[in-house]
Amino acid sequence: MSLALGVLPWLVSAWLFAVGLYGIVRSRHYVHLIACLAVCQSATYVLLLSIGFRWHAGPPIFYDHPPGSAAVDPVMQALVLTDIVVGAAVSALLLAIALQVHKRRGSVDPQSLRPLRPNR
Amino acid sequence: MSPGLRSLLLLLALALLAPFAWHVAKALPQFGSPTAAYGATVNALGPPLRHVSNMVAAVNFDFRALDTLGEESMLFCAVTGAVVLLRGTRGEGTNRRAGLIPGRAVLARSDAQVLLCRIACTLTMLFGLYMVLHGTVTPGGGFQGGVIIASAVLLLYLAEGYGPWRRLIRSPLLDVLESLGVLLFVGAGAAPLLSGHAAMSNLMPLGHFRDLFSGGVMLVTNFAVGLAVAAGFVMLLLEFLEETRALQSDSLPDEAQR
Repeated sequence: MSLALGVLPWLVSAWLFAVGLYGIVRSRHYVHLIACLAVCQSATYVLLLSIGFRWHAGPPIFYDHPPGSAAVDPVMQALVLTDIVVGAAVSALLLAIALQVHKRRGSVDPQSLRPLRPNR
Repeated sequence: MSPGLRSLLLLLALALLAPFAWHVAKALPQFGSPTAAYGATVNALGPPLRHVSNMVAAVNFDFRALDTLGEESMLFCAVTGAVVLLRGTRGEGTNRRAGLIPGRAVLARSDAQVLLCRIACTLTMLFGLYMVLHGTVTPGGGFQGGVIIASAVLLLYLAEGYGPWRRLIRSPLLDVLESLGVLLFVGAGAAPLLSGHAAMSNLMPLGHFRDLFSGGVMLVTNFAVGLAVAAGFVMLLLEFLEETRALQSDSLPDEAQR
C-alpha cells in the first residue's frame, strides 16, 4: 500500500508528460499544441511538489504553527511558482506567434506549413 | 512532415533517452522523505534571520532574489515579445471600438452581468491587493497577487464593455507601471552596493514576526514583482483583445446600446 503510494506521484508526473508529448507530436493545430505544452509543463509541477513533500509536515508558512515544526521543502514550492509564471508568459508569447502565423499563412496546421523561402 | 513520421521520430528519441531517464528515476528520493538540506535550512533559519513567516516568499525575494530578478526579466521579455509581435502588423494605433465579426450578432450585456461583474471585480481587486501586501506573512505574494489583479481588470471589461474599458486602461500607463516594477526590483537589489554591501543584501529594518511590515527589502521586491506582473498581464489581455477587432472596423457601430 505504502509502496504504491510512494510510486504514484512519479507515475502521475510521467503520465502527464507522456500525454502532453503525444499531443504535441500528433497536433494538427497550433493552439492545441500550445495547450499540450501546458499539459507537459503541469507534469513538472507534480514532480517538483512530490520531490519536496514530507509525510506529516505542514506548509512552509509558520503563521499557524510555530517555527521549527515539520514543514515541506519551500525551495521546491518557490520553483513551482517560477515554473507557473514562466509557463503563462511563454504560452502568451506562443499564442501571439500562432496569431501571426495565421495572419501571414492563413493556416495554423503545423503540417501544412512549409519552410520560409526568400521572395523571388 | 506526416504524423506517422513524427511519431516514428518521437519513438526513436524516446528509445535513445529511455536509459538516461531510468537512471535519473532510480536516483529520485523516496516520496515523502526529501533528502535536500537546502529546504530544511531555509525553514530553520528563515524566521529568526528574516522575521518572515512565509518561507516561499523568503526564498523568492531574499535568499534567491537574484534568481527572481532573472525570472522577472524573463517575464518582462516574454510580455514585450508578445506585444511587439501583436502590434507588428497592426501598428501603434489603437481603436476604442470593439471588434466585430460580420454575421455574428452583437448581444447587449444584461443588467445582471453588469452588476455581478462590477461586484466581483471590486472583490477580486481587493483580494489581489491583499495577496500582494501580505506576501511575506501568509500564502501569496507578488506573482499570485499580480495575476489576481489582472483578472479583476478582465472582469471590469466584462462589466463595462470594450469602449469604456479602453478609456480606463491606458496602454502607455501599463508600459510605465511594468517598467517601474522591474526598475524597483533592480534598484532594491543594487542599492546595497552604494554602501559597500553585497547586491540584494537585506539592510532595511526587518520588522516583527507575523506582522504585515516584516521582511525588510522583501516588502519592496514583493511589491515590485506584483506591479510588474499585474501590469504585464493586463497589457497582454489588452493586446489580445485589440487583436480581435477587425483592422477596418471604424465604420461599424459600437456595441449595441443597452
